[in-house]
Amino acid sequence: MIGSARKRLLIALAFLLPNLLGFLVFTAGPVLFSLAMSFTDWALTKHNSFSSTPVRFVGIENYARLLWGDESGFFWNYFGNTVYLMIGIPIGIAGSLGLALLLNAKSSPAGRGSKAWGVGVALAVTAISCFGVWMLTTPGPAPTELTAVKSGEIGLTDLTVFQVDRARSNAAVLAMAVLGAVVAGGMAFGSAFFRTLFYLPSLLAGVAMFLLWKTLYRPRGGLINAGLEPLLNWITHATKQTPEWVWKAGAAGVFGLVAMLAGLTVVNGVRNLGSGVAGAAALFGRVAWAATLLAAGWGVAIVLWRVHGWAADGLKPPDWLIDPTYAKPALIVMGVWCGVGGGNMLLYLAGLSNVPPELYEAASIDGASGWQRFKHVTWPQLAPTTFFIVIMSTIGGLQGGFEQAMVMTGGAAETRVLAFYLYERAFKGTFELGLASAIAWVMFAMIFAMTIVNFRLGSQMTND
Amino acid sequence: MPEQPAQPRTTIVGEGRAGLPISRVAVFAGLTLFGVTAAVPFVWQILMSLATLTDVDLLTQTGFPPTLLPSNYGLVFERVPFAKYFFNSFFVAGWVTILQVITCAMAAYAFSRVQWPGREKVFLLYLGTLMIPGVVLMVPNFAVVLGLGMFNSYWGLIIPGAFSAFGTFMLRQFMLTIPTSLDEAAAIDGAGHWRIFTEVVLPLARPGVIVLAIFCFLGNYNSFFWPLILVKDVNLRTLPLGLLVFDSSYGRETPLIMAASLMAMVPPVVIFLLLNRYLVKGIQLGAVKG
Amino acid sequence: MAQVVLRNVGKVYDRKVRAVEGFNLDIRDGEFVVFVGPSGCGKSTTLRMIAGLEDITEGTVDIGGRVVNHVHPKDRDIAMVFQNYALYPHMTVFKNLAFGLMLRKMPKEEIRRRVGEAARLLGIEQLLERKPKALSGGQRQRVALGRAIVREPQVFLFDEPLSNLDAKLRVVTRTELKNLHQRLRTTTIYVTHDQEEAMTLGDRIVVMSNGRIQQVDTPLNVYRRPVNRFVAAFLGSPPMNFVEGTIAREGQRPVFVGGDWLRLALPADQPGVAADLARHEGRPLVLGFRPNAMSEHAAGKFAPPGGGNALRLATTVVEPLGDKIDVSCQTPAGQRLIARIDARDNFPAGQTIEFFLDPEHVHVFEPGEFGPNILRPPA
Ligand SMILES: Nc1ncnc2c1ncn2[C@@H]1O[C@H](COP(=O)(O)OP(=O)(O)OP(=O)(O)O)[C@@H](O)[C@H]1O
Ligand SMILES: [Mg+2]
Repeated sequence: MIGSARKRLLIALAFLLPNLLGFLVFTAGPVLFSLAMSFTDWALTKHNSFSSTPVRFVGIENYARLLWGDESGFFWNYFGNTVYLMIGIPIGIAGSLGLALLLNAKSSPAGRGSKAWGVGVALAVTAISCFGVWMLTTPGPAPTELTAVKSGEIGLTDLTVFQVDRARSNAAVLAMAVLGAVVAGGMAFGSAFFRTLFYLPSLLAGVAMFLLWKTLYRPRGGLINAGLEPLLNWITHATKQTPEWVWKAGAAGVFGLVAMLAGLTVVNGVRNLGSGVAGAAALFGRVAWAATLLAAGWGVAIVLWRVHGWAADGLKPPDWLIDPTYAKPALIVMGVWCGVGGGNMLLYLAGLSNVPPELYEAASIDGASGWQRFKHVTWPQLAPTTFFIVIMSTIGGLQGGFEQAMVMTGGAAETRVLAFYLYERAFKGTFELGLASAIAWVMFAMIFAMTIVNFRLGSQMTND
Repeated sequence: MPEQPAQPRTTIVGEGRAGLPISRVAVFAGLTLFGVTAAVPFVWQILMSLATLTDVDLLTQTGFPPTLLPSNYGLVFERVPFAKYFFNSFFVAGWVTILQVITCAMAAYAFSRVQWPGREKVFLLYLGTLMIPGVVLMVPNFAVVLGLGMFNSYWGLIIPGAFSAFGTFMLRQFMLTIPTSLDEAAAIDGAGHWRIFTEVVLPLARPGVIVLAIFCFLGNYNSFFWPLILVKDVNLRTLPLGLLVFDSSYGRETPLIMAASLMAMVPPVVIFLLLNRYLVKGIQLGAVKG
Repeated sequence: MAQVVLRNVGKVYDRKVRAVEGFNLDIRDGEFVVFVGPSGCGKSTTLRMIAGLEDITEGTVDIGGRVVNHVHPKDRDIAMVFQNYALYPHMTVFKNLAFGLMLRKMPKEEIRRRVGEAARLLGIEQLLERKPKALSGGQRQRVALGRAIVREPQVFLFDEPLSNLDAKLRVVTRTELKNLHQRLRTTTIYVTHDQEEAMTLGDRIVVMSNGRIQQVDTPLNVYRRPVNRFVAAFLGSPPMNFVEGTIAREGQRPVFVGGDWLRLALPADQPGVAADLARHEGRPLVLGFRPNAMSEHAAGKFAPPGGGNALRLATTVVEPLGDKIDVSCQTPAGQRLIARIDARDNFPAGQTIEFFLDPEHVHVFEPGEFGPNILRPPA
């Protein structure tokens, strides 16, 4: 190393200083400050330039209020909401893995894409779309009549066949255009095109995106229910056509099958029980898997069992964000849509490209089927990636959900999460900064605990 | 013609029967299906943004707005100071990015290229704070900014973001991969530390710097919580805040909301398309190294 | 140009790891000195102390009559070529060569002239606009060399500059380096762990081990008169054979006795050596001889039968090299020896054969890895 230790220290300090100052003032200092504040009754309404009330040290009172005192009702409620919304995490991770596998599939003709083909198809699509747009925008009778529908002068059923057909053909042309564009892009640019397309939602996730989804979720006039309505109508119709016992038998059959599968999984696990902690962990994994299977089967069975009854009154799409029961599922669906193609998918792609191809070749020679190759090669090789993703997603999930609640439902009770709670206590009303700090630290403790649990499970998973 | 030896057929064993058209088509169909799912909301957003106030509510029945109103986009700027929001977002995100990249790169240099007593300990301190979740910092940072008199000002929006333990960590990891013999060669060539930093290490750390800059810019461009608690002045609103306020005051004017949110989405997409390759690498690098 | 003088130089890393100790060396102006030794013996460390890339724990380094212990590398007027070349990947070859000159605020014209000259000298003129990534290993090596040359420094420092090249290119470049040195006559310090490179390049060789100098001398002297067993074993390929035994006296003559199969009369013409040998009589010693000191046919003044220099050895493996062959043999005591002898067809492997050992080319060492040479100590 060049120069004396003293001189190097001075040089290093010169380079470090701007960052170190900021680090101390906005990161390291605040951490300690926040911890200290969480033991005080500091509130901006009580302690400000107009009042000289000193900030009091209150011991663990803030924590006590949160966990079992007067705030515990809110706290646990919001905690429950947060955990509910985290259901989206495993779904999203599975989705990311699925997309990555699709993108990585060597058998895809989208491998690298072929410019000639793609440009050809793209030109064709553009031409058709232009023609379609021109056709669609030529003035006709439809708009006025539809305005009349809207203003309630005539009912939707009063529309002429021509007008309904026209709407359908509009939608068809539009769908063709979108489909054609995607196919063309895929042909031209291969999996890079799809990767980019999948990534866009996560890139744009934010207030603008949430506003878009808010309109998509509108009970009437929203795209989602417009799509669900015909589907549900068809299901209603189909359900009415078949006698009730068929559905009930189906429900019983599904549940029976799933129960059998779950039972087999557990029995097999017990039979091949390994020794020690690893064995116990493996069995635990199987039991958890069986339980998940049972729960899913139970859900499907219940729906099948009841669907005939529901259909009698006609199936209606939910009021999503407005209906307290459906607000959280709506957020989960949106979250999954935003997240599947994001960073996690890219991580899985990187993980997949790091799997040595010889492993697949060896497995194939050993006679492994596609599923077995996934189970014995891909999945174990991806374990570190999955581990990383699960940890990061859990950390993100416990802290997240604030923007969604704020933008989508204006902070309706059923969508409030812990981060929202903190915002509400710290920056609104009484500005209870002490209590809010305690909230933050409880969240930190939870994140810490979850991370440790993840680490334990993860190291077991990666070890065997 | 002499008989040719049979060409060894290369099959990709790992991915099912590679040659089978059915599986190829299935994969492509799957990709297309998800691609359409990802695209449709945006297409719909464009349509909504171009519709008239009446047509937009009937869009699900007409499938296409009978009259296209590009003027919706202009209207957004008349209703609210949207240009100002845009400017604020760019101004804040831009400055945060510039400052953060500079401070982090300099700190990373000190942590990776200079040997000084106590280096590992200070770095450990930085590492330790990486695990602290952002929510913990919200309240005390608010108090600090309040104390420094930066509440409701550009300063308050920019300065707290100008330093980042994560960015320092990332760039340090990146700089560690640059061989030290380059610094030594430069030192013998006659370069001092500042020159080695600006002319050797920084250019070589460019991919890392770009990744940090992209993440930093996008993160701050989308940032919502911090401006929400810090900004009271209309003229300081960034895009996310502006959009939210726009929605609560003009929420019934769907086309305008959609036009506004669509415009807000354009810069990230442009950045992404331009710097796609760095970003993808960066995310993957972050996981491997981080 | 300048001489380089190291006085009692030592280096301790992190107050713990001793890398170099008591290093004393006078390098003359224009001399080509090679540091050679096994991996980790402190060659690079010494070189880097001379360059100013490591601080000097003990002693002084003097370049051109000036103690440079606390002088920044850029002010020592040296140039260095690194093992991995350390070319700036983001600069073109021209910029790589010019960078050091630009930092010294040299006028543009002069820079262009010097870079052009160096490029011509090294035959890399057509590469000047390329980036290092677009160069082959050999071309990169030249650029690294060029970067050192343009500076026209007082001292060149090389740290294993050829070890990233393939075997053939290494030999070619070695010759070119020597040529270059003869043309420029710049004081050069060259680090390598390849003893062949050391022998061919150096005016003098510095053999190091465990941070200490073992021997400093011309290549031939080091080869012929190794100061101790370590140096003897390190230089030469295949390595020197060693046989343990003692010295006995047969009449006037000292004789090396190794078990019951070796009785070699030693030449003891110089009086000092004779006395030294006499002092070690009866003590355990080691006889060393290079593989090419053996032959199938008797030669030299100790021809049989009187000399006792015939060895009966069991041959195991024969490796033809062209006009020579390497024969692996086994002594009756089970020790493995290698003989390099003139090639001939149908050399019998797996038989017991008589070899002759030339007493003019044997050494006697005291026991231990660093046992001193008592038969042929350096002059
Ligand atoms: N930065 C360092 N910190 C601590 N010990 C070091 C450092 N650099 C080198 N050493 C130690 O110093 C000794 C000499 O190292 P040096 O690099 O000089 O060896 P060398 O002779 O160049 O070997 P090689 O032929 O492998 O390059 C080694 O034992 C090495 O482990
Ligand atoms: Mg070395």
